[in-house]
Amino acid sequence: MTLSVLICDDSALARKQVKKSFPENWNVDVRLASNGLEAINMMREKIADVLFLDLTMPELDGISVLELLKLKKLANYVIVISADIQPEMQKRVTELGALAFIQKPVNSEKLSQILEEYGLL
Amino acid sequence: MIEITITEEQRDCLQELINVAMGRASDKLARYLETFVHLQVPHIELVSSSELPQAFAETYGDDSVTLLSQGFYGQDGITGETLLIYRADHTKNIANILGYEPDEVSEMEQLTDISSILTTTFLNGLAEQIDNQIAYSAPRVISSSETSIEKHLQDLSFNWELALKVAISYQVTDYEFNCDMVLLIPGVAIENIQQVLDQILEEY
Repeated sequence: MTLSVLICDDSALARKQVKKSFPENWNVDVRLASNGLEAINMMREKIADVLFLDLTMPELDGISVLELLKLKKLANYVIVISADIQPEMQKRVTELGALAFIQKPVNSEKLSQILEEYGLL
Repeated sequence: MIEITITEEQRDCLQELINVAMGRASDKLARYLETFVHLQVPHIELVSSSELPQAFAETYGDDSVTLLSQGFYGQDGITGETLLIYRADHTKNIANILGYEPDEVSEMEQLTDISSILTTTFLNGLAEQIDNQIAYSAPRVISSSETSIEKHLQDLSFNWELALKVAISYQVTDYEFNCDMVLLIPGVAIENIQQVLDQILEEY
């Protein structure tokens, strides 16, 4: 079965970096969102099984996205990929239901390891 | 007037590099102050040297500020200046955050320590991502109560007409303490950084 994933980041470069760090031959359908609002609207339509989420974004930031997903029980698998690596931030996103936190720039081995851990490969 | 434009792709690429560098700097600051640092999306624009003092005056008005100015020099002509700006009414809160007794450590010493943490972590983070090595000069402290900030900005922009300006805000919301960081990459260094950005963009 093909998984559908959504990459939400305000930076086009960061979205490409995430996509490029996916394991080879990972059978996925990739969609992109450039801010939190777009991501929430897409998640409402249940178009993605896995969400790769940035935190520092205009319109609606990653923390607000996590809060809304939790509230609406829309959270599937959320993996936060952020440059905001403060311990408190990592704790906050985990409390809000994110599976994992990966620091930017994204490391493909770390990503694969997490995907494997949650049986997403 | 030199004609320089920065493309949307270059701006996006630079913003992502800045994001990572400021993320590391805020993490260091958060650990040092044992508090949370709120980050916003950095603001990137091209500014002319003539509008720099005016833009500064518009942001800070009559507020008394302390500015720490530090030059940096990287390979391949990646040079510029970092400015760290603290509002006087906020600096009073630092001793509180750090748990110092009054007069135990001077405000200036505290600002210098914080600035050094932010600047070195930020510049090293930036340098690492672009495979560069950056050296920096000793910081100069300019207090608006003693010297004119406008004069310093004029001196700073003496040799160039246009600079790439990156504005970052580190906000310690629990204690009402903000530090604004302004990165200025002037003149020919803009084209040098553009080349670096184009190389990164080619990889993706």
